[in-house]
Amino acid sequence: MFYLESLLIKGFRNYHYQQLQFNPRLNIICGGNAQGKTNLLESIYYLSVTRSFRTRRDQELVNWEEPLFYLKGIFYKYDLRNSIRISYRKNAQLKVKVNDKAVSRYAHLQQFPIVVFSPDDVLLIREGPSIRRRFLNLEASRLSPQYFEELRAYQRVLQQRNNLLKKLYGRGSRQINELLEPWDETLVSLGSNIIHTRVKIIKYLEKEGKVFFENMTSSRETISLEYAASVEYSEAFNETKEIFRRRLEKAREIEIRKGSTVVGPHLDDLKIMINGYDSRKYSSQGQKRTAALSLKMAEVSLFRKEHNDCPIILLDDVFSEFDEKRKMHLLDFLRDNSGQCFISTAIGIDNLLESISSDYKTISIHQGRASDEVSRPGN
Amino acid sequence: MVYPGHLKKLVEALTRFPGIGQKSAQRIAFYLLGCSREDVVAIARAMVDAKDKLGFCQTCGSLAETDLCIYCSDSKRDNNLLCVVQEPRDVLVLERTGQYSGLYHVLHGALSPLDGIGPEELKLDRLVSRIRESEIREVIIATNPNVEGDATAGYLARLLNPLSVRVTRIAFGLPVGGDIEYADDLTLSRALDGRRVI
Ligand SMILES: [Zn+2]
Repeated sequence: MFYLESLLIKGFRNYHYQQLQFNPRLNIICGGNAQGKTNLLESIYYLSVTRSFRTRRDQELVNWEEPLFYLKGIFYKYDLRNSIRISYRKNAQLKVKVNDKAVSRYAHLQQFPIVVFSPDDVLLIREGPSIRRRFLNLEASRLSPQYFEELRAYQRVLQQRNNLLKKLYGRGSRQINELLEPWDETLVSLGSNIIHTRVKIIKYLEKEGKVFFENMTSSRETISLEYAASVEYSEAFNETKEIFRRRLEKAREIEIRKGSTVVGPHLDDLKIMINGYDSRKYSSQGQKRTAALSLKMAEVSLFRKEHNDCPIILLDDVFSEFDEKRKMHLLDFLRDNSGQCFISTAIGIDNLLESISSDYKTISIHQGRASDEVSRPGN
Repeated sequence: MVYPGHLKKLVEALTRFPGIGQKSAQRIAFYLLGCSREDVVAIARAMVDAKDKLGFCQTCGSLAETDLCIYCSDSKRDNNLLCVVQEPRDVLVLERTGQYSGLYHVLHGALSPLDGIGPEELKLDRLVSRIRESEIREVIIATNPNVEGDATAGYLARLLNPLSVRVTRIAFGLPVGGDIEYADDLTLSRALDGRRVI
């Protein structure tokens, strides 16, 4: 079990200087719109993974009246105190210090795992396949380091092969096969590995996500996940390879005309079905949000089973679109499954919190300042 | 920092070496300044001589001081065995093992459409005719274990298939003295793929 005990924010987004203490379990960040609730969650996320979940540009994070931002957090892990300090000055390198020792930006990653759910995550359901592939790749890499290496090699083969395809137009078919076959071989074996790992991950995610989704909808609705592959995969690895190989042979002419590889896991999708229907097309905004949240919470459950520990969970403005029952189910889930949790909300949820009777802390935010800190001791 | 002109020039020249940064270049420069004049001339001479006198073997593409390299002209080497490598320095690595006594063929690269390198650039037809006209019975492909090296090996295997030679790929696996526990997953799975009966 690990948690963030305290945080000092200087010059970050709309914060100038703010010192905060947190509850090891549940923290409610409340306040009106555009007061700095999400910015606070963002600073916690940044402290844990040295990047933001909203932007890739560190410059955007520096308060416009300040020359730099500085974050200092105290994490407790197995009763050990860890201080993390991060500072960033425009046009300079990010500085990260763990327990007073300078470390590289990425060396610090994964020390204090964190999962965030924000309104943008609904894009996972609404947008095209690439965002879901990225989600799958991330989840698969987290569970299997080999997957990450295979994915990198696959992308390299794909680049080489696409480049070659562009040069083959008008050549004889014997020469075409001769030149393509060695690349096909690697594409097929790496690609089949990637497909099989993804299918495995999807099975895990479905199992965990189903439970959460059905709870959220009081068992009135159900979610299922399916791997939509451009190559029909088989349970048997060698059969998948064989199918993949045959599909490539069939696609020769089209591939050469297009100058790119038209079958393989780089084109696949994760199909998310609600009550048996494709959620991308046939679902309400509320259903989409519940489905996206289910995937994220499935990630939390998976992490918990894998590491026997809980990531820190950040929930940005989840309550605005859920009805009372869903809010209750979510809080129940968090009580039973999460370690430390931060929830931002623009609406009061004290009545709900009282009924789950856990100890928590409320921090209200107004114009980049925290005030009225209310602590409720647990029973 | 202000350097005397000649020192600046020397440091700058030295930073061109692979793996040599500003700091190391400075150390080497001061080392040279501390040497006797004869020693410095000998070092410079060694570089110029190497450049002037070393070329590539006409037959196999290894480094050579004459038309034929020391491997091709050595009658004691096993001329039934040919090892195909990507770079001249790979020959030295294999020689260092003392395990291999066959001949070599250096491709000077690997297939890489992105870099405009195809079978013609690697002069693979020359490799085929060399094998045809020789007593070679086994070809060991020792290209690098990455995407380009694997594709090159695959291409060669197909190309040499019609010739009556055995084609093998060297196994990649665990470093000797290494602990399985510390091997990364990819190395381990490669080692498993390359396993053999004992
Ligand atoms: Zn030679």
